[in-house]
Amino acid sequence: MTALLEIEDLKVTFNTRYGQVTALDGVSLHVNAGETLGVVGESGCGKSITALATMGLIPMPPGRIAGGSIRLSGEELVGANPSRLRALRGADIAMIFQEPMTSLNPVFTVGDQIAEAIMLHQKVSPDQAFKDAVALLDRVGIPSPDARARDYPHQLSGGMRQRVMIAMAVSCRPKVLIADEPTTALDVTVQAQIFDLLNEIQRDFGAAIILITHDMGAISEMADRVAVMYAGRVIEEAGADDVLDHPQHPYSRGLIDCIPALGREDHALKEIPGVVPPLHLLGDGCAFADRCEHANDRCRREKPLLAAHGHHPAACHGVEEGRI
Amino acid sequence: MSSSYLLRRVGYGLLLMLGVVVLNFLLIRLAPGDPAVVIAGEMGGATEEMLESIREEYGLNKPVLVQLWIYVAGVAQGNLGESFFFNQPVAKLIADRIGPTILLVVTAQLMSIALGVFLGVLAARKPNGVMSAFVSVFATIGYAVPVFWTGIMLIILFASSFPIFPVEGMQSVKLRDAAWYVQTADVLHHLILPAFTLAIIYLAQYARLSRASMLEVLGSDYIRTARAKGAPEKSVLFKHALRNAALPILTVAGLQFGNLISGALLVETVFNWPGMGRLAFDSILRRDYPTIMGVLFFASAMVVVANILTDISYRWADPRLRGKS
Repeated sequence: MTALLEIEDLKVTFNTRYGQVTALDGVSLHVNAGETLGVVGESGCGKSITALATMGLIPMPPGRIAGGSIRLSGEELVGANPSRLRALRGADIAMIFQEPMTSLNPVFTVGDQIAEAIMLHQKVSPDQAFKDAVALLDRVGIPSPDARARDYPHQLSGGMRQRVMIAMAVSCRPKVLIADEPTTALDVTVQAQIFDLLNEIQRDFGAAIILITHDMGAISEMADRVAVMYAGRVIEEAGADDVLDHPQHPYSRGLIDCIPALGREDHALKEIPGVVPPLHLLGDGCAFADRCEHANDRCRREKPLLAAHGHHPAACHGVEEGRI
Repeated sequence: MSSSYLLRRVGYGLLLMLGVVVLNFLLIRLAPGDPAVVIAGEMGGATEEMLESIREEYGLNKPVLVQLWIYVAGVAQGNLGESFFFNQPVAKLIADRIGPTILLVVTAQLMSIALGVFLGVLAARKPNGVMSAFVSVFATIGYAVPVFWTGIMLIILFASSFPIFPVEGMQSVKLRDAAWYVQTADVLHHLILPAFTLAIIYLAQYARLSRASMLEVLGSDYIRTARAKGAPEKSVLFKHALRNAALPILTVAGLQFGNLISGALLVETVFNWPGMGRLAFDSILRRDYPTIMGVLFFASAMVVVANILTDISYRWADPRLRGKS
């Protein structure tokens, strides 16, 4: 069976003042209908670029899709003509963004913004679209949706706005829903509500969800499968439980060690030393080598490829050699 | 919009007008030159007794503060005084001329905003493109070239070399008795060159400003959201972005309105447009105090009204400002 969305060997480059940098270096991912794929990694690892590339929203220039393929139900999206991409955006693939505070247009009512999304892809009257928008607001758990639909974004709380974004994203029953850090800007209690809502929406609408996050807790709650990204590459990919219980790559282990646990007062919060190296300074070796306690000469010389060595696929010489 | 807000704005406007009246009065009295001398000169010579009697007749020998009180009290009752030169009520002089000035200024304002914003939006679409470079160069030229020179060049080009538009005036004498729609068309025909001359400075500024404002807005998250829902580029630019980019444009439009009126003075002179500008210019040379003050009064009133309209349009453009004062 072919996957619903298949990203293969995707390369995205940007022209910057440091010259051309490779933001995505051969990313391959797939997600099946009704499945939730978690994509994790620190800021700057390429998660959001992968999402934007899938939406056809990479600003070009300075960006460029230098190679690879993105297929939705078998249809190639890389190089597809802009009007086709526009027809798919919002209808078949939709996206929820990280910042609900700034992702809604401040000068239009939320009802109008949802109705617009409906009218862009369905032949319905403005009145009907607005009624549908109200029904969607009700569906995503907004109280007195009829009144709230006439509110402007600044009159709603962050959590409410994110619900509005979700209502807008699912308004045309997309096949794939990309959620880019949907809860990062929200209170913890609201985070849980949003995740519950996404789960319900998935059950009702049967959408595949790509959940982009740096929060392993969110992954354990939501994801069926997980891809760990680092410096523009996928470095580990497996079922969510496999990655959480048996992380292979030292970077994945680091991420999981960073989850604070209640009642664990014996040691301070862990962190991964160092930062993601700037993309224009990446050398030939493993991008994580400088932050890795297991790195040796080979790691600094030769880029590891994603391959099954131990429990499940990881891109690490140490795992391959059985050192880790 | 609450009516109490509107009332308060109008109240402030009236207060501001009072300040303007007092300031105008004092400023003109401070300027050098004696109206009695000019009036006497017009009458064919000036003896000391004649000057005295003129000062007596026009109340110029009273203390300045008393003159001020008389003037302000008059204005409050709608009496702007009598022109020293025309021996007619100032209100009538202005009433005869304010229509053409408003027509010229409002047309120029709308023309510069509409064209300028359109050019700015096109330029913002490709910030490194040809259109963007054109807008930058055009804006610099438009801002640097004096308005009377532009006017003369346009007359040479479009009224003389290629006689598409009339050289001057507001109406053709031979069409005075024609049907109203013929006359309207005739006035519009006369209006194009002077309005464009006046618009060109501000047009360039609006183009630059809206380019900058649009570029900022186009980088925001909600524009990405609009694209993500599949909105076509035209709707992204003119619906989602422009409404948000409008605030700084409206601010400047409100502020520029005053400059536009002073620009109208020059344009009216170049094109012999029968408006207030010409009257103001001549009255200054004649030291015709009541007429100068009357013109300034109406010019200020237009600016105050324009500012109130700007405030109202803010609230239309940005719902976040509604319900606040």
